[in-house]
Amino acid sequence: MATEVRAEEPAAQARRRRRRPDLTAPSLLGLPLAWLAVFFVVPIAIVAAYSFNAFSLYPGSHPLTLQAWHDFLHSGVYLRLFWKSVKMSLIVSTIVVALAYPIAYYLALSGTKRKYVLLLLLIAPFLTSYLLRVLAWKVILGDNGVLNSFFFWTGLRSPDHPFSQLLYSRFAVVLVLAYIWLPFVALPIFVSLESLDRRLLEAASDLGASRLQSFRRITLPLSLPGIFAAFLFVFIPTLGEFVTPSLVGGASGYMYGNQIVDLFQTGFPDWETGSVLAIFLLGVVTLLTLVFSRFLQPKQVAAG
Amino acid sequence: MDVALSRGGAWVLKAFFVLVVVFLYAPIVILVIFSFNNSNVPAFPLSGFTLHWYHEFLVNSDLRSALKTSAIIAAVSSAAAVLLGILAAIALVRHRFPGKGPVSALLLSPLVIPYVVFGLALLLLFHTIGLQRSIFTVMIGHIVITLPYTILVMMPRLQQMDVTLEEAAYDLGASRLRTFRSITLPLLLPAVVSAYLIAFTTSFDEYAVASFVVGTTVTFPIYLYSAVRFPTNLPQVIAVAVVVISISLLVVVGAEVGRRLAERRLG
Repeated sequence: MATEVRAEEPAAQARRRRRRPDLTAPSLLGLPLAWLAVFFVVPIAIVAAYSFNAFSLYPGSHPLTLQAWHDFLHSGVYLRLFWKSVKMSLIVSTIVVALAYPIAYYLALSGTKRKYVLLLLLIAPFLTSYLLRVLAWKVILGDNGVLNSFFFWTGLRSPDHPFSQLLYSRFAVVLVLAYIWLPFVALPIFVSLESLDRRLLEAASDLGASRLQSFRRITLPLSLPGIFAAFLFVFIPTLGEFVTPSLVGGASGYMYGNQIVDLFQTGFPDWETGSVLAIFLLGVVTLLTLVFSRFLQPKQVAAG
Repeated sequence: MDVALSRGGAWVLKAFFVLVVVFLYAPIVILVIFSFNNSNVPAFPLSGFTLHWYHEFLVNSDLRSALKTSAIIAAVSSAAAVLLGILAAIALVRHRFPGKGPVSALLLSPLVIPYVVFGLALLLLFHTIGLQRSIFTVMIGHIVITLPYTILVMMPRLQQMDVTLEEAAYDLGASRLRTFRSITLPLLLPAVVSAYLIAFTTSFDEYAVASFVVGTTVTFPIYLYSAVRFPTNLPQVIAVAVVVISISLLVVVGAEVGRRLAERRLG
Protein backbone atom coordinates (compact mmCIF):
# COMPACT_ATOMS: atom_id res chain seq x y z
CA MET A 1 0.00 0.00 0.00
CA ALA A 2 1.08 3.49 -0.61
CA THR A 3 0.36 5.10 2.72
CA GLU A 4 3.51 5.55 4.70
CA VAL A 5 3.94 3.64 7.91
CA ARG A 6 4.61 6.01 10.75
CA ALA A 7 4.74 5.89 14.48
CA GLU A 8 1.09 6.70 15.04
CA GLU A 9 -1.59 5.39 17.28
CA PRO A 10 -3.28 2.38 15.66
CA ALA A 11 -6.65 4.17 15.83
CA ALA A 12 -5.31 7.19 13.93
CA GLN A 13 -3.77 4.87 11.34
CA ALA A 14 -7.02 3.03 10.88
CA ARG A 15 -8.90 6.31 10.47
CA ARG A 16 -6.40 7.48 7.88
CA ARG A 17 -6.62 4.23 5.99
CA ARG A 18 -10.40 4.39 5.96
CA ARG A 19 -10.34 7.88 4.60
CA ARG A 20 -7.89 7.45 1.74
CA PRO A 21 -8.26 4.08 0.09
CA ASP A 22 -9.86 5.23 -3.17
CA LEU A 23 -7.09 6.35 -5.56
CA THR A 24 -4.33 3.77 -5.56
CA ALA A 25 -1.42 3.27 -7.93
CA PRO A 26 -3.23 0.79 -10.20
CA SER A 27 -6.18 3.12 -10.75
CA LEU A 28 -3.86 6.05 -11.50
CA LEU A 29 -1.69 4.02 -13.84
CA GLY A 30 -4.54 2.26 -15.62
CA LEU A 31 -5.10 4.85 -18.34
CA PRO A 32 -1.46 5.74 -19.16
CA LEU A 33 -0.41 2.08 -19.23
CA ALA A 34 -3.42 1.03 -21.30
CA TRP A 35 -2.67 3.80 -23.80
CA LEU A 36 0.94 2.68 -24.14
CA ALA A 37 -0.04 -0.98 -24.34
CA VAL A 38 -2.46 -0.42 -27.22
CA PHE A 39 -0.57 2.27 -29.16
CA PHE A 40 3.04 1.48 -28.34
CA VAL A 41 3.61 -2.15 -27.32
CA VAL A 42 1.07 -3.80 -29.61
CA PRO A 43 2.26 -1.89 -32.73
CA ILE A 44 5.83 -3.02 -32.10
CA ALA A 45 4.61 -6.59 -31.68
CA ILE A 46 2.85 -6.26 -35.05
CA VAL A 47 6.12 -5.13 -36.67
CA ALA A 48 7.81 -8.19 -35.20
CA ALA A 49 4.98 -10.35 -36.57
CA TYR A 50 5.49 -8.87 -40.05
CA SER A 51 9.22 -9.61 -39.86
CA PHE A 52 8.43 -13.31 -39.43
CA ASN A 53 5.75 -13.15 -42.11
CA ALA A 54 3.04 -13.93 -39.54
CA PHE A 55 1.28 -10.86 -40.97
CA SER A 56 1.73 -9.78 -44.55
CA LEU A 57 0.84 -6.98 -46.92
CA TYR A 58 -0.43 -9.57 -49.38
CA PRO A 59 -3.59 -11.58 -48.78
CA GLY A 60 -3.60 -15.35 -48.46
CA SER A 61 -2.10 -17.74 -45.98
CA HIS A 62 1.46 -17.32 -44.86
CA PRO A 63 3.72 -19.80 -43.16
CA LEU A 64 5.89 -18.37 -40.40
CA THR A 65 9.33 -17.93 -41.87
CA LEU A 66 12.77 -16.66 -40.95
CA GLN A 67 13.50 -15.98 -44.62
CA ALA A 68 13.62 -12.15 -44.30
CA TRP A 69 15.91 -12.37 -41.27
CA HIS A 70 18.13 -14.86 -43.07
CA ASP A 71 18.38 -12.59 -46.13
CA PHE A 72 19.04 -9.56 -43.95
CA LEU A 73 21.91 -11.22 -42.11
CA HIS A 74 23.49 -12.80 -45.18
CA SER A 75 23.11 -10.30 -48.00
CA GLY A 76 25.33 -7.73 -46.30
CA VAL A 77 23.73 -4.75 -48.07
CA TYR A 78 21.62 -3.69 -45.12
CA LEU A 79 24.24 -4.50 -42.51
CA ARG A 80 26.82 -2.41 -44.41
CA LEU A 81 24.35 0.47 -44.49
CA PHE A 82 23.73 0.00 -40.76
CA TRP A 83 27.47 0.09 -40.12
CA LYS A 84 27.75 3.30 -42.15
CA SER A 85 25.01 4.84 -39.98
CA VAL A 86 26.81 3.67 -36.84
CA LYS A 87 29.98 5.39 -38.03
CA MET A 88 28.15 8.61 -38.91
CA SER A 89 26.39 8.60 -35.54
CA LEU A 90 29.72 8.06 -33.76
CA ILE A 91 31.23 11.01 -35.65
CA VAL A 92 28.26 13.28 -34.88
CA SER A 93 28.17 12.30 -31.19
CA THR A 94 31.93 12.76 -30.77
CA ILE A 95 31.92 16.21 -32.42
CA VAL A 96 28.92 17.35 -30.42
CA VAL A 97 30.27 16.15 -27.06
CA ALA A 98 33.70 17.65 -27.79
CA LEU A 99 32.09 21.04 -28.54
CA ALA A 100 29.60 20.89 -25.69
CA TYR A 101 32.06 19.92 -22.95
CA PRO A 102 34.06 23.17 -22.84
CA ILE A 103 30.83 25.16 -22.96
CA ALA A 104 29.30 23.24 -20.07
CA TYR A 105 32.60 23.56 -18.19
CA TYR A 106 32.60 27.31 -18.70
CA LEU A 107 29.00 27.69 -17.54
CA ALA A 108 29.31 25.38 -14.53
CA LEU A 109 32.77 26.23 -13.20
CA SER A 110 33.83 29.70 -14.31
CA GLY A 111 31.71 31.29 -11.59
CA THR A 112 29.75 33.44 -14.04
CA LYS A 113 26.70 34.91 -12.34
CA ARG A 114 24.39 34.63 -15.29
CA LYS A 115 24.93 30.93 -15.96
CA TYR A 116 21.23 30.07 -16.18
CA VAL A 117 20.55 32.93 -18.58
CA LEU A 118 23.48 31.80 -20.72
CA LEU A 119 22.25 28.21 -20.56
CA LEU A 120 18.82 29.30 -21.77
CA LEU A 121 20.49 31.25 -24.59
CA LEU A 122 22.26 28.05 -25.56
CA ILE A 123 19.22 25.77 -25.34
CA ALA A 124 16.63 28.07 -26.93
CA PRO A 125 17.58 27.15 -30.55
CA PHE A 126 16.99 23.50 -29.69
CA LEU A 127 13.39 24.31 -28.92
CA THR A 128 12.61 25.96 -32.25
CA SER A 129 11.48 23.99 -35.25
CA TYR A 130 13.76 21.14 -36.28
CA LEU A 131 12.75 21.29 -39.95
CA LEU A 132 13.30 25.03 -40.11
CA ARG A 133 16.84 24.69 -38.82
CA VAL A 134 17.49 22.10 -41.53
CA LEU A 135 15.94 24.55 -44.02
CA ALA A 136 18.38 27.25 -42.87
CA TRP A 137 21.36 25.04 -43.67
CA LYS A 138 19.90 24.07 -47.01
CA VAL A 139 19.60 27.75 -47.90
CA ILE A 140 23.18 28.34 -46.73
CA LEU A 141 24.94 25.34 -48.24
CA GLY A 142 23.40 25.05 -51.73
CA ASP A 143 25.50 25.44 -54.90
CA ASN A 144 23.89 28.84 -55.39
CA GLY A 145 23.19 29.28 -51.72
CA VAL A 146 24.15 31.96 -49.26
CA LEU A 147 27.70 30.74 -48.65
CA ASN A 148 28.66 30.17 -52.29
CA SER A 149 26.98 33.35 -53.50
CA PHE A 150 28.84 35.24 -50.80
CA PHE A 151 32.13 33.92 -52.14
CA PHE A 152 31.13 34.76 -55.74
CA TRP A 153 30.03 38.24 -54.71
CA THR A 154 33.21 39.03 -52.84
CA GLY A 155 35.31 37.52 -55.64
CA LEU A 156 36.92 34.91 -53.40
CA ARG A 157 35.60 32.15 -55.64
CA SER A 158 34.62 32.05 -59.30
CA PRO A 159 30.93 31.23 -60.02
CA ASP A 160 32.16 28.46 -62.35
CA HIS A 161 33.69 26.62 -59.42
CA PRO A 162 31.33 26.67 -56.46
CA PHE A 163 32.04 24.57 -53.36
CA SER A 164 29.80 21.81 -54.61
CA GLN A 165 30.20 19.14 -51.97
CA LEU A 166 28.59 21.32 -49.30
CA LEU A 167 25.02 20.19 -49.78
CA TYR A 168 23.78 16.64 -50.50
CA SER A 169 26.73 14.93 -48.88
CA ARG A 170 27.69 13.00 -45.79
CA PHE A 171 29.41 16.21 -44.63
CA ALA A 172 26.11 18.11 -44.78
CA VAL A 173 24.31 15.43 -42.74
CA VAL A 174 27.00 15.42 -40.05
CA LEU A 175 27.11 19.23 -39.92
CA VAL A 176 23.35 19.69 -39.68
CA LEU A 177 22.87 16.94 -37.10
CA ALA A 178 25.71 18.32 -34.98
CA TYR A 179 24.10 21.77 -35.26
CA ILE A 180 20.74 20.39 -34.19
CA TRP A 181 22.01 18.39 -31.20
CA LEU A 182 24.63 20.76 -29.80
CA PRO A 183 22.37 22.94 -27.57
CA PHE A 184 20.63 19.90 -26.10
CA VAL A 185 23.79 18.02 -25.25
CA ALA A 186 25.44 20.71 -23.14
CA LEU A 187 22.71 20.08 -20.54
CA PRO A 188 23.63 16.64 -19.11
CA ILE A 189 27.33 17.60 -19.04
CA PHE A 190 26.44 20.87 -17.31
CA VAL A 191 24.43 18.96 -14.70
CA SER A 192 27.30 16.59 -13.89
CA LEU A 193 29.83 19.45 -13.65
CA GLU A 194 27.46 21.62 -11.65
CA SER A 195 27.12 18.94 -8.96
CA LEU A 196 30.88 18.62 -8.66
CA ASP A 197 32.11 19.43 -5.15
CA ARG A 198 34.55 22.31 -5.53
CA ARG A 199 36.21 21.41 -2.24
CA LEU A 200 37.75 18.42 -4.02
CA LEU A 201 39.48 20.80 -6.42
CA GLU A 202 40.57 23.05 -3.55
CA ALA A 203 42.00 20.07 -1.69
CA ALA A 204 43.89 18.96 -4.79
CA SER A 205 45.24 22.46 -5.24
CA ASP A 206 46.33 22.63 -1.58
CA LEU A 207 48.13 19.36 -2.00
CA GLY A 208 50.09 20.83 -4.89
CA ALA A 209 48.20 19.55 -7.94
CA SER A 210 48.22 21.74 -11.03
CA ARG A 211 44.89 22.66 -12.66
CA LEU A 212 45.57 20.19 -15.45
CA GLN A 213 46.26 17.42 -12.94
CA SER A 214 43.10 18.10 -10.96
CA PHE A 215 41.11 18.23 -14.19
CA ARG A 216 42.49 14.85 -15.28
CA ARG A 217 42.22 13.16 -11.90
CA ILE A 218 39.05 14.75 -10.49
CA THR A 219 36.86 16.80 -12.83
CA LEU A 220 37.00 14.57 -15.90
CA PRO A 221 36.36 11.26 -14.06
CA LEU A 222 33.48 12.79 -12.09
CA SER A 223 31.87 14.23 -15.21
CA LEU A 224 32.12 10.96 -17.16
CA PRO A 225 28.47 9.98 -16.44
CA GLY A 226 27.36 13.28 -17.99
CA ILE A 227 29.61 12.70 -20.99
CA PHE A 228 28.23 9.19 -21.50
CA ALA A 229 24.66 10.45 -21.16
CA ALA A 230 25.29 13.25 -23.66
CA PHE A 231 26.93 10.83 -26.08
CA LEU A 232 23.99 8.42 -25.93
CA PHE A 233 21.39 11.19 -26.20
CA VAL A 234 22.91 11.99 -29.58
CA PHE A 235 23.98 8.55 -30.71
CA ILE A 236 20.66 6.76 -30.19
CA PRO A 237 18.37 9.09 -32.17
CA THR A 238 20.99 9.69 -34.86
CA LEU A 239 21.23 5.96 -35.53
CA GLY A 240 17.64 5.88 -36.78
CA GLU A 241 17.66 9.36 -38.32
CA PHE A 242 16.00 9.76 -41.71
CA VAL A 243 14.64 13.30 -41.99
CA THR A 244 17.92 15.23 -42.13
CA PRO A 245 19.64 12.78 -44.52
CA SER A 246 16.66 12.84 -46.85
CA LEU A 247 16.76 16.66 -46.97
CA VAL A 248 20.50 17.38 -47.13
CA GLY A 249 22.18 13.99 -47.56
CA GLY A 250 21.75 13.14 -51.23
CA ALA A 251 22.98 9.66 -52.21
CA SER A 252 26.15 9.68 -50.13
CA GLY A 253 24.35 10.77 -46.97
CA TYR A 254 21.70 8.01 -47.27
CA MET A 255 21.29 6.30 -43.90
CA TYR A 256 19.75 3.13 -42.48
CA GLY A 257 16.60 5.04 -41.45
CA ASN A 258 16.07 6.16 -45.06
CA GLN A 259 16.23 2.53 -46.16
CA ILE A 260 13.48 1.63 -43.69
CA VAL A 261 11.27 4.46 -44.94
CA ASP A 262 11.86 3.48 -48.56
CA LEU A 263 10.88 -0.13 -47.87
CA PHE A 264 7.52 1.12 -46.58
CA GLN A 265 6.71 4.17 -48.61
CA THR A 266 7.93 3.65 -52.16
CA GLY A 267 5.96 2.15 -55.03
CA PHE A 268 7.42 -1.30 -54.34
CA PRO A 269 6.88 -1.80 -50.63
CA ASP A 270 8.54 -4.71 -48.89
CA TRP A 271 7.04 -4.64 -45.42
CA GLU A 272 8.60 -7.93 -44.40
CA THR A 273 12.17 -6.75 -45.01
CA GLY A 274 11.35 -3.29 -43.67
CA SER A 275 10.05 -4.85 -40.45
CA VAL A 276 13.24 -6.88 -40.08
CA LEU A 277 15.31 -3.69 -40.44
CA ALA A 278 13.10 -1.86 -37.93
CA ILE A 279 13.19 -4.65 -35.32
CA PHE A 280 16.97 -4.95 -35.72
CA LEU A 281 17.39 -1.20 -35.12
CA LEU A 282 15.03 -1.33 -32.16
CA GLY A 283 16.97 -4.28 -30.73
CA VAL A 284 20.28 -2.41 -30.96
CA VAL A 285 18.79 0.73 -29.40
CA THR A 286 17.15 -1.26 -26.59
CA LEU A 287 20.40 -3.08 -25.88
CA LEU A 288 22.32 0.21 -25.73
CA THR A 289 19.70 1.71 -23.43
CA LEU A 290 19.77 -1.29 -21.07
CA VAL A 291 23.56 -1.53 -20.97
CA PHE A 292 24.00 2.17 -20.34
CA SER A 293 20.77 2.72 -18.38
CA ARG A 294 22.60 3.98 -15.32
CA PHE A 295 23.81 6.95 -17.39
CA LEU A 296 20.36 7.61 -18.83
CA GLN A 297 18.62 8.59 -15.62
CA PRO A 298 15.65 10.94 -16.07
CA LYS A 299 17.33 13.50 -13.81
CA GLN A 300 19.93 14.03 -16.53
CA VAL A 301 17.19 15.27 -18.87
CA ALA A 302 14.85 16.95 -16.48
CA ALA A 303 17.40 19.33 -15.03
CA GLY A 304 16.87 23.02 -15.37
CA MET B 1 43.10 31.91 -7.27
CA ASP B 2 40.35 29.91 -8.86
CA VAL B 3 40.84 26.16 -8.65
CA ALA B 4 38.87 25.24 -11.80
CA LEU B 5 40.07 27.83 -14.30
CA SER B 6 43.01 30.16 -14.75
CA ARG B 7 42.19 33.68 -15.87
CA GLY B 8 43.53 32.91 -19.37
CA GLY B 9 41.60 29.64 -19.46
CA ALA B 10 38.37 31.39 -18.52
CA TRP B 11 38.98 33.92 -21.29
CA VAL B 12 39.56 31.19 -23.90
CA LEU B 13 36.42 29.31 -22.82
CA LYS B 14 34.37 32.50 -22.89
CA ALA B 15 35.55 33.22 -26.44
CA PHE B 16 34.70 29.63 -27.39
CA PHE B 17 31.24 30.00 -25.85
CA VAL B 18 30.62 33.17 -27.87
CA LEU B 19 31.77 31.39 -31.05
CA VAL B 20 29.38 28.49 -30.45
CA VAL B 21 26.47 30.85 -29.78
CA VAL B 22 27.30 32.65 -33.04
CA PHE B 23 27.36 29.28 -34.84
CA LEU B 24 23.96 28.41 -33.33
CA TYR B 25 22.27 31.71 -34.15
CA ALA B 26 23.95 32.60 -37.47
CA PRO B 27 21.69 30.37 -39.60
CA ILE B 28 18.63 31.87 -37.89
CA VAL B 29 19.93 35.41 -38.46
CA ILE B 30 20.58 34.57 -42.10
CA LEU B 31 16.97 33.39 -42.44
CA VAL B 32 15.76 36.67 -40.94
CA ILE B 33 17.91 38.72 -43.35
CA PHE B 34 16.76 36.84 -46.44
CA SER B 35 13.11 36.91 -45.39
CA PHE B 36 13.25 40.70 -46.09
CA ASN B 37 15.34 40.35 -49.25
CA ASN B 38 13.68 41.43 -52.46
CA SER B 39 14.73 38.48 -54.63
CA ASN B 40 13.35 35.09 -55.64
CA VAL B 41 16.51 33.27 -54.64
CA PRO B 42 18.18 33.60 -51.27
CA ALA B 43 21.69 34.57 -52.40
CA PHE B 44 24.14 37.43 -52.12
CA PRO B 45 24.25 40.27 -53.01
CA LEU B 46 21.19 41.51 -51.15
CA SER B 47 18.81 43.29 -53.49
CA GLY B 48 16.62 45.52 -51.38
CA PHE B 49 14.09 45.41 -48.56
CA THR B 50 10.59 43.96 -48.98
CA LEU B 51 7.68 42.69 -46.91
CA HIS B 52 6.36 40.88 -49.98
CA TRP B 53 7.18 37.37 -48.71
CA TYR B 54 5.36 37.92 -45.42
CA HIS B 55 2.35 39.18 -47.33
CA GLU B 56 2.54 36.16 -49.66
CA PHE B 57 2.42 33.66 -46.85
CA LEU B 58 -0.36 35.47 -45.05
CA VAL B 59 -2.57 34.99 -48.09
CA ASN B 60 -1.36 31.40 -48.74
CA SER B 61 -4.41 29.34 -47.76
CA ASP B 62 -2.64 25.93 -47.98
CA LEU B 63 -0.10 27.09 -45.49
CA ARG B 64 -2.67 28.60 -43.16
CA SER B 65 -4.74 25.44 -43.17
CA ALA B 66 -1.60 23.38 -42.47
CA LEU B 67 -0.80 25.63 -39.51
CA LYS B 68 -4.36 25.29 -38.26
CA THR B 69 -4.30 21.48 -38.59
CA SER B 70 -1.07 21.27 -36.62
CA ALA B 71 -2.37 23.63 -33.95
CA ILE B 72 -5.49 21.45 -33.48
CA ILE B 73 -3.43 18.26 -33.33
CA ALA B 74 -0.98 19.81 -30.87
CA ALA B 75 -3.69 21.32 -28.65
CA VAL B 76 -5.64 18.06 -28.34
CA SER B 77 -2.73 15.64 -28.08
CA SER B 78 -0.83 17.68 -25.51
CA ALA B 79 -3.96 18.08 -23.36
CA ALA B 80 -4.37 14.30 -23.39
CA ALA B 81 -0.67 13.73 -22.77
CA VAL B 82 -0.67 16.12 -19.81
CA LEU B 83 -3.73 14.38 -18.36
CA LEU B 84 -2.16 10.94 -18.64
CA GLY B 85 1.13 12.43 -17.42
CA ILE B 86 -0.43 13.83 -14.24
CA LEU B 87 -1.90 10.40 -13.40
CA ALA B 88 1.38 8.60 -14.09
CA ALA B 89 3.55 11.17 -12.29
CA ILE B 90 1.38 11.06 -9.14
CA ALA B 91 1.50 7.27 -9.14
CA LEU B 92 5.28 7.25 -9.56
CA VAL B 93 6.02 9.93 -6.98
CA ARG B 94 3.36 9.37 -4.31
CA HIS B 95 2.90 5.62 -4.36
CA ARG B 96 5.02 2.56 -3.81
CA PHE B 97 3.97 -0.54 -5.70
CA PRO B 98 5.54 -3.75 -6.96
CA GLY B 99 7.08 -3.53 -10.43
CA LYS B 100 7.66 0.23 -10.20
CA GLY B 101 10.99 -0.04 -12.02
CA PRO B 102 9.64 -1.74 -15.16
CA VAL B 103 6.50 0.44 -15.15
CA SER B 104 8.47 3.69 -15.12
CA ALA B 105 10.81 2.26 -17.76
CA LEU B 106 7.80 1.52 -19.99
CA LEU B 107 6.32 4.99 -19.39
CA LEU B 108 9.59 6.66 -20.41
CA SER B 109 10.54 4.28 -23.23
CA PRO B 110 8.95 6.39 -26.02
CA LEU B 111 11.88 8.75 -25.36
CA VAL B 112 14.39 6.36 -26.86
CA ILE B 113 12.46 4.54 -29.57
CA PRO B 114 13.62 5.60 -33.05
CA TYR B 115 10.70 7.60 -34.46
CA VAL B 116 11.00 5.82 -37.79
CA VAL B 117 10.29 2.51 -36.01
CA PHE B 118 7.42 3.92 -33.96
CA GLY B 119 5.90 5.62 -37.01
CA LEU B 120 5.85 2.50 -39.11
CA ALA B 121 4.67 0.41 -36.14
CA LEU B 122 1.62 2.67 -35.82
CA LEU B 123 1.11 2.49 -39.57
CA LEU B 124 1.05 -1.31 -39.39
CA LEU B 125 -1.33 -1.20 -36.41
CA PHE B 126 -3.80 1.06 -38.22
CA HIS B 127 -3.44 -1.05 -41.36
CA THR B 128 -4.09 -4.24 -39.39
CA ILE B 129 -7.18 -2.99 -37.57
CA GLY B 130 -8.38 -1.11 -40.66
CA LEU B 131 -8.41 2.37 -39.13
CA GLN B 132 -8.40 5.17 -41.70
CA ARG B 133 -5.42 7.52 -41.32
CA SER B 134 -6.37 11.08 -40.30
CA ILE B 135 -5.52 13.80 -37.85
CA PHE B 136 -6.78 11.47 -35.12
CA THR B 137 -4.14 8.86 -35.89
CA VAL B 138 -1.50 11.60 -35.69
CA MET B 139 -2.89 12.66 -32.29
CA ILE B 140 -2.66 9.06 -31.07
CA GLY B 141 1.01 8.93 -32.02
CA HIS B 142 1.82 12.34 -30.55
CA ILE B 143 0.21 11.48 -27.22
CA VAL B 144 2.56 8.48 -26.98
CA ILE B 145 5.74 10.43 -27.77
CA THR B 146 4.95 13.48 -25.62
CA LEU B 147 3.72 11.50 -22.58
CA PRO B 148 7.25 10.86 -21.16
CA TYR B 149 8.12 14.56 -21.42
CA THR B 150 5.06 15.55 -19.41
CA ILE B 151 5.91 12.94 -16.76
CA LEU B 152 9.52 14.14 -16.53
CA VAL B 153 8.44 17.76 -16.12
CA MET B 154 5.86 17.03 -13.41
CA MET B 155 7.76 14.49 -11.29
CA PRO B 156 10.33 16.91 -9.79
CA ARG B 157 7.58 19.42 -8.93
CA LEU B 158 5.56 16.70 -7.16
CA GLN B 159 8.66 15.62 -5.26
CA GLN B 160 9.21 19.19 -4.04
CA MET B 161 5.62 19.67 -2.94
CA ASP B 162 4.83 19.33 0.74
CA VAL B 163 2.73 16.18 1.26
CA THR B 164 1.53 17.44 4.62
CA LEU B 165 -0.68 20.04 2.87
CA GLU B 166 -2.58 17.24 1.13
CA GLU B 167 -2.74 15.25 4.35
CA ALA B 168 -4.07 18.27 6.21
CA ALA B 169 -6.85 18.57 3.64
CA TYR B 170 -7.87 14.91 4.16
CA ASP B 171 -7.77 15.33 7.88
CA LEU B 172 -10.09 18.32 7.56
CA GLY B 173 -12.49 16.10 5.67
CA ALA B 174 -11.84 16.94 2.03
CA SER B 175 -12.44 14.14 -0.46
CA ARG B 176 -9.66 12.86 -2.73
CA LEU B 177 -10.98 14.82 -5.68
CA ARG B 178 -11.54 17.97 -3.63
CA THR B 179 -7.99 17.75 -2.27
CA PHE B 180 -6.59 17.24 -5.74
CA ARG B 181 -8.58 20.22 -7.06
CA SER B 182 -7.86 22.68 -4.27
CA ILE B 183 -4.36 21.64 -3.13
CA THR B 184 -2.45 19.40 -5.54
CA LEU B 185 -3.48 20.94 -8.84
CA PRO B 186 -2.86 24.60 -7.93
CA LEU B 187 0.58 23.71 -6.55
CA LEU B 188 1.34 21.58 -9.59
CA LEU B 189 0.06 24.20 -12.03
CA PRO B 190 3.42 25.72 -13.07
CA ALA B 191 4.65 22.25 -14.01
CA VAL B 192 1.36 21.47 -15.80
CA VAL B 193 1.77 24.62 -17.88
CA SER B 194 5.38 23.86 -18.83
CA ALA B 195 4.48 20.24 -19.58
CA TYR B 196 1.68 21.43 -21.86
CA LEU B 197 3.95 23.88 -23.66
CA ILE B 198 6.68 21.30 -24.16
CA ALA B 199 4.17 18.73 -25.43
CA PHE B 200 2.53 21.34 -27.67
CA THR B 201 5.76 22.49 -29.30
CA THR B 202 6.95 18.89 -29.71
CA SER B 203 3.73 17.85 -31.41
CA PHE B 204 3.51 21.03 -33.51
CA ASP B 205 6.98 20.35 -34.92
CA GLU B 206 6.77 16.55 -35.23
CA TYR B 207 7.38 15.21 -38.71
CA ALA B 208 8.81 11.67 -38.48
CA VAL B 209 5.89 9.85 -36.86
CA ALA B 210 3.26 12.03 -38.55
CA SER B 211 4.69 11.25 -41.99
CA PHE B 212 3.68 7.61 -41.52
CA VAL B 213 0.22 8.04 -40.04
CA VAL B 214 -1.11 11.32 -41.44
CA GLY B 215 -2.66 9.98 -44.63
CA THR B 216 -3.62 12.80 -46.99
CA THR B 217 -3.98 15.56 -44.41
CA VAL B 218 -1.24 18.21 -44.49
CA THR B 219 0.21 19.24 -41.16
CA PHE B 220 2.62 22.15 -40.85
CA PRO B 221 5.77 19.96 -40.67
CA ILE B 222 4.52 17.91 -43.64
CA TYR B 223 4.01 21.15 -45.58
CA LEU B 224 7.46 22.39 -44.56
CA TYR B 225 9.12 19.12 -45.46
CA SER B 226 7.86 19.21 -49.03
CA ALA B 227 8.64 22.93 -49.24
CA VAL B 228 12.21 22.28 -48.10
CA ARG B 229 12.61 19.24 -50.30
CA PHE B 230 11.30 20.87 -53.48
CA PRO B 231 11.92 24.56 -52.89
CA THR B 232 9.81 26.34 -55.50
CA ASN B 233 8.86 29.25 -53.31
CA LEU B 234 11.79 29.48 -50.95
CA PRO B 235 11.58 33.13 -49.77
CA GLN B 236 8.00 32.62 -48.64
CA VAL B 237 8.96 29.53 -46.66
CA ILE B 238 11.82 31.51 -45.15
CA ALA B 239 9.37 34.19 -44.02
CA VAL B 240 7.23 31.51 -42.38
CA ALA B 241 10.35 30.11 -40.75
CA VAL B 242 11.20 33.47 -39.24
CA VAL B 243 7.70 33.93 -37.84
CA VAL B 244 7.57 30.42 -36.35
CA ILE B 245 11.07 30.61 -34.88
CA SER B 246 10.35 34.02 -33.33
CA ILE B 247 7.11 32.81 -31.78
CA SER B 248 8.65 29.63 -30.40
CA LEU B 249 11.62 31.53 -28.96
CA LEU B 250 9.20 33.94 -27.29
CA VAL B 251 7.08 31.10 -25.89
CA VAL B 252 10.13 29.24 -24.62
CA VAL B 253 11.74 32.23 -22.96
CA GLY B 254 8.38 33.38 -21.61
CA ALA B 255 7.58 29.94 -20.20
CA GLU B 256 10.99 29.69 -18.54
CA VAL B 257 10.74 33.17 -17.01
CA GLY B 258 7.17 32.44 -15.88
CA ARG B 259 8.17 29.12 -14.35
CA ARG B 260 11.01 30.67 -12.38
CA LEU B 261 8.78 33.49 -11.15
CA ALA B 262 6.04 31.04 -10.15
CA GLU B 263 8.51 28.79 -8.34
CA ARG B 264 9.95 31.71 -6.45
CA ARG B 265 6.44 32.73 -5.39
CA LEU B 266 5.12 29.28 -4.51
CA GLY B 267 8.41 28.10 -3.04
